[in-house]
Amino acid sequence: MKAEKSKLYRKEGLYGYLFIAAPVIGFLIFSMIPVAYSSYAAFTDWDGLSQMNFIGLENFKALLHDEYFHKAMFNTIFLMIGIPIGIILSLLLAMGLNRGIWATSTFRVIYYIPVISSIAAIAILWQWAFNGDYGLINQFLGYFGIEGPNWLSDKDTVKPGLILMTVWKGLGYTMLLYLAAIQSVPKTYYEAAKLDGANAFQIFRHITLPMVKPVTFFIVVTSIIGGAQVFTEINIMTPTGGPEYSSATVVFYIWEKAFGNFQLGYASAMAMVLGIFIFVVTLIQFKINEKTSYDMD
Amino acid sequence: MKNKKFNILFLALFLMIGAVLSGCSNGGSASEDSGGKKELTFMFRGQPQEQAAYKAVVKKFEEANPDVKVNIVVTAGDQYDTKLQAAIAGRKIPDVFFYNPGQLKAYVNSNVLRDITEYVEGSEGVNLDDIWETGVAKYQYDGKETGTGAIYGLPKDLGPFALGYNKTMFEKAGIALPDKDKPMTWDEFINVSKQLTQDTNGDGKMDQYGTGFNVNWALQPFVWSNGADFVDETYTKVTVDDPKFVEALQYFADMQNKYKVTPSIGEAQSLDTYQRWLRGQLAFFPVGPWDMGTFEKELKFEYDLMPWPAGSTGESAAWIGSLGIGVSKTSKNPEAAAELAMYLSADQEGQQALIDQRVQIPNSVKVAEEWAADTSIVPENKQEFLDIINDYGRSHSTDFTYNGEWLDYFFANVQPVLDGKKTAAEYTKEVQPKMQELLDKAVKQEEQSKK
Repeated sequence: MKAEKSKLYRKEGLYGYLFIAAPVIGFLIFSMIPVAYSSYAAFTDWDGLSQMNFIGLENFKALLHDEYFHKAMFNTIFLMIGIPIGIILSLLLAMGLNRGIWATSTFRVIYYIPVISSIAAIAILWQWAFNGDYGLINQFLGYFGIEGPNWLSDKDTVKPGLILMTVWKGLGYTMLLYLAAIQSVPKTYYEAAKLDGANAFQIFRHITLPMVKPVTFFIVVTSIIGGAQVFTEINIMTPTGGPEYSSATVVFYIWEKAFGNFQLGYASAMAMVLGIFIFVVTLIQFKINEKTSYDMD
Repeated sequence: MKNKKFNILFLALFLMIGAVLSGCSNGGSASEDSGGKKELTFMFRGQPQEQAAYKAVVKKFEEANPDVKVNIVVTAGDQYDTKLQAAIAGRKIPDVFFYNPGQLKAYVNSNVLRDITEYVEGSEGVNLDDIWETGVAKYQYDGKETGTGAIYGLPKDLGPFALGYNKTMFEKAGIALPDKDKPMTWDEFINVSKQLTQDTNGDGKMDQYGTGFNVNWALQPFVWSNGADFVDETYTKVTVDDPKFVEALQYFADMQNKYKVTPSIGEAQSLDTYQRWLRGQLAFFPVGPWDMGTFEKELKFEYDLMPWPAGSTGESAAWIGSLGIGVSKTSKNPEAAAELAMYLSADQEGQQALIDQRVQIPNSVKVAEEWAADTSIVPENKQEFLDIINDYGRSHSTDFTYNGEWLDYFFANVQPVLDGKKTAAEYTKEVQPKMQELLDKAVKQEEQSKK
């Protein structure tokens, strides 16, 4: 009896490994090997064409004084302002839709369409919307007598413009996550709170918000990781990195260096710094989350 | 029973890994003989109508050379460089591919491009004398300088960037048409532009302008015709702080800020001025050969070409763009690959197909001259394109440097000058050191690549 069970266990374990083998092998081949290769390249003067020469920390030293890298880093972080805005808006939307208002599922579809659309198509669409003369946005502003700026070619408006777009694009996804989270909050908590005489804000503050906290944490972590790697929309909407390089992100700069200027070694060094940056930020978030989390049970 | 299941699972897994691995090693592989045929990979980019034209030419090449099979890899314009670079880094270089003259040195020094001089000179189909000398020179490199030495490619086309004008607008305003031989002076250009900058429907807002140039493409003719350049003759020193350069840049910015002959600030984005030109709101606008097809269909007015206004040298200047067709050094069938490259560049029928699409001018001097004289093809003064190639056209400065980063810096930060927030003198003084630093880096990179 016992022997039988352990054999079954063993077999199941084997199956289990087999099932995870495909993604693990894929990850090793397509992620780990390139990462290792690029990590080495970061310490060389590789131009992507000829052989690599080891140059130690030269690339990293150069990074410290690279004005464009600092600018790109700043831009990348600046564009993340969209993350809290998106989170607040989608939480509000999710709560609205949760009240069972008219045509809820239609709204869900509408908000979700941008999420499943190709980012390239969206970027082109918004490029037109932001056009200074004929763009939808400026036409709309025109109805209120506001003369809109030429969004993408002014260094002061290009970042807000991009933030607007990313918020719009991510809204549906975040909203859906929140909606699911809100719907799984046990009704009994709300009933109990109402019996105790809690008002709407108190209910939100002390029940809804804590209950959706794991989702918020997930969204913040994934958004920051994604936000650090913004590239496609920048490349399409401002192919030169924007006026005075005001919309270039780190990944955009890496790409320009690697594929435009034959500096793959240097680009790898930047990629490594970016990778470490993301890792550290994520680590800090997990630490903070640990400290402030609590159990319902 | 269970065992069998297990085996199947195992098999499936192995197949999957196998597929992944082989996909890795075989992807985009070049020139494996299959069934006795020589296989070539041809990688290129282009607008949809260009793609169709090139595919047709390749098909014809295959018919003429039954022992050769050509695999076509085509990408959208903005992804091309990335894909090519990735192919090179992975040492899976396509046998025949398009490349930018600016990449010539880097690709030769790192053994990406093959010297095809012997094939070109020994070829029956290609008469080297009949292809624009300027065009071939763009792909010659003697190990030190470009423009002479071994041939590392042939021009796909030459793109002389001419200045066009709205003929109908001139006629309506009763202004004499620009001379097609004698360039305007800068003052004359401003005067005519001022006369044509009008409010035609009387709503108090300007709706017709002299011009609206995109600085990235249109600053060069002004700089060069004023006797200045971005870089010195040795291509090692950035010369944007030269007073003549400053003057040209200031003049360029003044068109908008001082003379007000262009759409106002904030409307100068290239798409917009291009749209305005299409709508007939601009008197002058740059025209490249690739524009002819669109302009023939879209423009509701007549247009023609003229020399660029001339600065202090009294002579026009314009740039000639180009895209080259090169052969990979690692190609296993270099002869067939060189044949294909030559066929694409110089084959008469293939060329005709592209010319009919109105996307380029003929690579053959003889055909081009006949084409320019053919008045049924708009614009009438196509000779201006040929004049640029023969007389006053120049290559982009970045064609001679290892990379274009130093010049990108100039254009990326120039907006405040165009907006009138900075003077040209202030700006050029400010960016010169930084540009120099980037150029120094490119020079150093070039030296290293030769090792």
